[in-house]
Amino acid sequence: MGDEGETPPGSISEDEPQVNQDELILAQQRQIEKEISESIPLVGDLEPISSLNNEYSTDPVYLDKVKDLSTKYQYVRRTRPDGNCFFRAFSYANIERLLEKKEEFSEFYKLAEDSKTALVELGFQQFTVEDFYDTYMEVLKRLRAIEDADEAKKELHTLFNTQGFSDYMVVYLRLLTSGQLQKDKDFYSCFIEGERTVSDFCHQEVEPMYKESDHIHIIAACAALCTGVKVIYMDRGTGKSCNEHDLPEGCTPTVHLLYRPGHYDILYP
Amino acid sequence: MAGLSPSEVCGIEKATKGVNVLSEGATPGVSVDSDLAEQNLLHWIINMHGAPGTLYEGEVFQLQFKFSNKYPFDSPEVTFVGNNIPIHPHVYSNGHICLSILTDDWSPALSVQSVCLSIVSMLSSCKEKQRPPDNAFYVKTCNKNPKKTKWWYHDDSGLKPTKKT
Repeated sequence: MGDEGETPPGSISEDEPQVNQDELILAQQRQIEKEISESIPLVGDLEPISSLNNEYSTDPVYLDKVKDLSTKYQYVRRTRPDGNCFFRAFSYANIERLLEKKEEFSEFYKLAEDSKTALVELGFQQFTVEDFYDTYMEVLKRLRAIEDADEAKKELHTLFNTQGFSDYMVVYLRLLTSGQLQKDKDFYSCFIEGERTVSDFCHQEVEPMYKESDHIHIIAACAALCTGVKVIYMDRGTGKSCNEHDLPEGCTPTVHLLYRPGHYDILYP
Repeated sequence: MAGLSPSEVCGIEKATKGVNVLSEGATPGVSVDSDLAEQNLLHWIINMHGAPGTLYEGEVFQLQFKFSNKYPFDSPEVTFVGNNIPIHPHVYSNGHICLSILTDDWSPALSVQSVCLSIVSMLSSCKEKQRPPDNAFYVKTCNKNPKKTKWWYHDDSGLKPTKKT
């Protein structure tokens, strides 16, 4: 045994080693993911800022920062930490605010309607983009049809907690973000480390589900949806207050997100 | 799709669209066994011809695609099957392929067609026909499903398939 080509194709030796590390690692990952998905909804209910204290009851650095946060924000809405949190939070919060502004919603709807053609022109395959576009538009259509803003918000919450719809919204925003990066690749290439091209970066870090988001994703997603985000950074850094950044710089942010290392939640003033 | 959320219908629907796209011959050198695909939409065999002007010119390979009900959120399980497994530094003699889009870099917006194109292009860029250096060990120890292997991608040496401790 051992020489290449000697093993007959398709037949895998039955005498597997007693412990296959790969399988153990993957099984553990699946288990963690399962626990997260069973205990944390895709998008949670509104909770008072003080609810954050529960996570940090013995941590003075964070407690000071929660206190600071509570002077600027009233509520937090948690999202499931599955690597899609930025896209899910951003998409949800942006649509939620538009439900109270009919005119802006119509503009947003128009932008969404035209977006598939733009993606196909950028080289995305029509039939793979289509499924996600159709669901994205279906969600927007359902919301548009509801006259009362509060009722529409309830429907938004239901749709974003239905995996089928919610993940489709995430995928489509990932595609729009990838499209934006590739459309302005000269600009964005300055922010990509290493040898990767913008298109490599999109295929490896933007389009796949569960890949976490960085500044570059946020700036491109904002550009794709024609809006801006304020990100409040809460970490173990010194100081009693949280750092904040408007992305893109100088914008008037419409969506507020709380960033704790590795995760985004939605904030409400 | 009354009453169903998109994910419940999409797997099969998207696979069906994929059969049509491939049957129309949109990808040179790649064709789907449509009789087999019609019998079982979640299990396909695709015939792939080595591209002209490459080391694999004149060879025919068979690729097996298996789709789970979570497709397109879960990647398809893709392996070479049959009598002719290409000799390539990223293809094990049991048909497993070390290609990032099949696991880590899979995106729901990828299609069977784009996977086939990536594999044709992986074969075409090969400069020397050889098996991965750890072929013998890997094929003895791996799971039958290549998605249960923790692959290591994007390192400069070109290939470091599995990490076994």
